[in-house]
Amino acid sequence: MIVVDDVHKRYQTEHGAGKWVLRGVSFNIQPRVSVGMVGRNGAGKSTLLRLVGGVDTPNRGRIERHCRVSWPMGFGGGLQGSLTGRQNAKFVSRIHGHELDIPDRLAYVADFSELGDAFDEPVKTYSSGMRSRLQFALSLAFDFDVYISDEVTAAGDASFRAKAAAAFKNLASHAGLIMVSHDEGTLKQFCSAGIWVHDGQAHWFDQIDDALRAYKESIAA
Amino acid sequence: MTGSMGNLRSSASITLSAWNALFLREAVSRVSGRRAAWLWLLVEPAAHLTVLMVIFSTIRHRVMPGFDYALFLAIGILGYNLFRNSATRSMAAISANRALFAYRQVKPVDVVLVRAFLEGVIQLFVGLIMIAGMSLVGLEALPHDPLTVMLVFALFWLFGTGVGLMLSVGSTLIPEIGKMANLCFIPLYFVSGVLFSPAMVPPALRDWLLLNPVMQGLELARAAFSPSYHVVTGVDLYYLMAFAFASLFFGLAVHVRFARRLLMQ
Repeated sequence: MIVVDDVHKRYQTEHGAGKWVLRGVSFNIQPRVSVGMVGRNGAGKSTLLRLVGGVDTPNRGRIERHCRVSWPMGFGGGLQGSLTGRQNAKFVSRIHGHELDIPDRLAYVADFSELGDAFDEPVKTYSSGMRSRLQFALSLAFDFDVYISDEVTAAGDASFRAKAAAAFKNLASHAGLIMVSHDEGTLKQFCSAGIWVHDGQAHWFDQIDDALRAYKESIAA
Repeated sequence: MTGSMGNLRSSASITLSAWNALFLREAVSRVSGRRAAWLWLLVEPAAHLTVLMVIFSTIRHRVMPGFDYALFLAIGILGYNLFRNSATRSMAAISANRALFAYRQVKPVDVVLVRAFLEGVIQLFVGLIMIAGMSLVGLEALPHDPLTVMLVFALFWLFGTGVGLMLSVGSTLIPEIGKMANLCFIPLYFVSGVLFSPAMVPPALRDWLLLNPVMQGLELARAAFSPSYHVVTGVDLYYLMAFAFASLFFGLAVHVRFARRLLMQ
């Protein structure tokens, strides 16, 4: 279970404190619930994902994670460009306390990402599709109770997307998912509940369809 | 899906596994990053020493009473490099590892401390190899008081780590601080007595130079190598020690104070 209670967030800019991105966001995510997050560009979806993932801290309010939450996958974060895919995978295994079964994890990541020889090349030589395949395989190599995905399913070619979709479906039986996507089909496919981020607030909907409807009405208005 | 995470891990075990992973990640890029990167770690101080030897003992015929001049310079270079590299390498640690803060297990203070530790290990090996090399070519390069040498070099490393902790926060929040710091290390090299002994300087100027804890440390290290080395009055081990621990304290304090600001992008 994840508790988000009265979270406020603003960023420091070159000219002092910036505008409030989130103003008093509260919701609870129960175990094994898949949540889709919708909202306009810049509404604060990625900020909220980073806060839930523990990468950043709120200025006010609190976030409690009573379970194992993945890092936010997406946007090429979490990969060190000068290291190879394999070295990055080893690094991630170690910080997650898997020093002893690194060979198993590496085999899984190499197999799932289908990078082939590129797995031993520096990540900075990768295309964006290859990077997101590596990120996706990395996060699937570890057991989390909640996976956080920031548009990561949008990347990759058609066959990899099909494979990623199957893996996500498989996850849903034993883990929760929090995902940001601008693709309605993706959200409907994977998510049951929805969060609409609008005007510094987050509105919870038990049905993703309702969240999408509220979002669309706000654009039309 | 393979394996399981087991129970939630304790904070200490998370930090330890993050340090372990960061250390190996840093060591890989430092030692095998570029072509023969490990060789350059040795060549750089050795070339530095050779150039200075050519200038000062062959051209200017400088001699140091009670000391082999090559060893005198080598101690200065090793001590100063340990301090400077610990400070500048750890200063750059946050920007070099920005991508890894996507994992909440990794905090800014972790990457700085791990880099400083790796730098200490590297400089230890460089120092041992240089001393061994100088002994092999017949110089009296072994210290008569090895414990004091180790203590002084440990203090250089701690002082560099403390300065690096402070500068890593400073240069992340205000980039100009990083540029200024890199500029300041050039004059610091010349006033730290790498090339000369404070005994060679007029007393009025010497009192000012001795305010520099790095210079005091180099004097202490030289005295620990050779019992006949003349140490000027006013050199005190506790002076360097105070600087080392004060900088560590303030370095860690600013990391606590600005922990959130450092993570912001």
